[in-house]
Amino acid sequence: MIPAVALALAALSTPSVAGPWRAALDLAGGTLKFGVEIAANGSLLRGTLCNGRQCDAFSAVRLDGDSVRFELADYAASITAVLRGDSLVGAYRNVGNRGPRVIPFRASRGRWPVSPAPRWLSGEWYALFHGSVEDTPRIFEFRNGPAGLEGTIIGNAGDYSHFSGEATNDSFALSRFDGSFVYLLTGRLVGDTLRGTFHAGLKAQTAFDAVRAQGPSPLKPPTAVTRADTTAPFHFAFRDVNGVLVQSDDPRFRGKVVVVDAFGTWCPTCHEAAPSLVELYRTRQAQGLEVVGLAYEVSGDTAVDGALVRRYRDKFGIPFPLLLAGTNDVDAAAATLPQLEGFTAFPTTIFVGRDGRVRRVHAGFYGPATGAQHGALVAEFSREVDRLLAEPAPPGIP
Amino acid sequence: MHSRALPLVAMLCFASPVVAQLPQDLARERTEYLTWLRSAPTSPFAAIALQRVGAGLTLGPAGSDVMLSGVAQVRVTESAGRVTLDSGGVSTPLTRNRVMPLGSYRLLAAGAAGRTVLLVFGVPREVRTPVYFPFAPAAIDTVTLRPPQRRQSVLLLAPEGIDVEADEAGSVTVSRFGPPVSLRVRRFPGQSAEEWELEIYFRDATNGRGSYPAGRFVSLQPLGNGRYLLDFNRARNPFCAYSSVFPCPAPWPGNTLTEPVAAGERYGPAPEGEQ
Repeated sequence: MIPAVALALAALSTPSVAGPWRAALDLAGGTLKFGVEIAANGSLLRGTLCNGRQCDAFSAVRLDGDSVRFELADYAASITAVLRGDSLVGAYRNVGNRGPRVIPFRASRGRWPVSPAPRWLSGEWYALFHGSVEDTPRIFEFRNGPAGLEGTIIGNAGDYSHFSGEATNDSFALSRFDGSFVYLLTGRLVGDTLRGTFHAGLKAQTAFDAVRAQGPSPLKPPTAVTRADTTAPFHFAFRDVNGVLVQSDDPRFRGKVVVVDAFGTWCPTCHEAAPSLVELYRTRQAQGLEVVGLAYEVSGDTAVDGALVRRYRDKFGIPFPLLLAGTNDVDAAAATLPQLEGFTAFPTTIFVGRDGRVRRVHAGFYGPATGAQHGALVAEFSREVDRLLAEPAPPGIP
Repeated sequence: MHSRALPLVAMLCFASPVVAQLPQDLARERTEYLTWLRSAPTSPFAAIALQRVGAGLTLGPAGSDVMLSGVAQVRVTESAGRVTLDSGGVSTPLTRNRVMPLGSYRLLAAGAAGRTVLLVFGVPREVRTPVYFPFAPAAIDTVTLRPPQRRQSVLLLAPEGIDVEADEAGSVTVSRFGPPVSLRVRRFPGQSAEEWELEIYFRDATNGRGSYPAGRFVSLQPLGNGRYLLDFNRARNPFCAYSSVFPCPAPWPGNTLTEPVAAGERYGPAPEGEQ
């Protein structure tokens, strides 16, 4: 009897973080809500970060006394918090070169209530973001999903991934936090126009207004964002994570259709594009397709970037080569592929014909959050590859 | 004699209405900043050189543009925006805004293409903990951002001494320190494509008399509906205050408050008994 009491007392004195948590980042202009689920198996903790129905695993969850640390290794970020009764209070952090990027974090036990998408908000909207120098177009897509209001924002460089949120009366708030993107979209219906604010990070706020989608899309077609020199074969030469030089002239690529994926492990949209590229490669490699990933990473340090790219490769079971091409600074990345003009988006997919020349460049990617557009784009990529595979190989190449 | 006998309790009673308590969020912000200064690989206290790449730079033994002990000579060049490190016949791209190791040093190519600067970092020197004026509740104001007369971008030095393209964001009126003054606000790029900071580089009557002579930066905290919190307790020195490696941004014309703004970061030690 006494040992049982002692065990029970010991269990009571050890804080338990297992279970669902209503988590939030406190941005300067509003609350970015997301879910955290923690499961305990003995002393081993696992956790997921959820934006509505879309959940991703933390790379690690550690409990040290009353301190919890959630690792987001894909983005070299973390959340640290202190457990106080049924609350967690702390901060999300990742390191920049110009100072710390720190956003207050808090959570309480339970799940956020499900808020269905109201009819006045559901559907497609054409939005204009009002910058200090110029206004830029976006498309909002809102719908009702299994976990209530969800949707995405689409810009010229693709979508901002899956958002989830709530709507009350004439107001709405949808958000996205994945360890890298810290986005919150808030607004209300005024007449037939949505007016509101797009919050990015702790302090950036951009005003927008949006009207029901009607007429041609305000966005540039993804094939018009980036152009390529087609007068000469497309050239690349970078080392893989083992230091082996891989270049476009290698026999493996000669006479083949090559899909070049310019990506970054830091880029959530690239994560969403990876499975469809793997599928494309698996189903068409025997017919003459090669895929190669060019990684533009954060640190520029081969050891650090190599580890992140290996992790990305293993996460998606990528069977094609991934090369360390550079860092994600737009100017620096563009300089590594001088045959492209207007290279500004991650991912950018480059379709190269059997003659080695670029046939199409697609900036950005429509992830699963865009619903039908995702399926349509994946099918379009397949058709493009099939068209190129059907072309004869240049003379002299078997 | 009488004052010497004043008990501690009485001193605290007198002191409490004068010295306001530092708000938790500001205390946390200052702690995070100090941690970053102490630990970041690109802390200004670890910087040993900042030079424009221009027609090319050499790093390494004596006689190099930047002398680095234990490093064989390397040459840094910029062509069509691409920065390259050449050493012993091997050419390595030096990616902009990303840290690259070179022996026991770290390199960072930064700034706009065509105006690239190379920063070299070594072992961090002793970090001088930033010193602040006592917290001043009166130095917090709510302001309205008026749009700029012309929507345009300008190339100027950011607090870290590097050229950035900043957008003219407008102006705010400050009336807590002498006659109302309109201060210019600029939008600086942040740490991701969608993020940015609204910054004011201002001068005031404490410059050279407790605060940094060239002026200080303070950012606006959005409150919604075009209103912003302007908290001079958050005013920060440019990096040139920490190290002569960094060039100082030229004061922004007109951004001068005639009265002292005794809030935010100091330059030099606080007067005895103040902190």
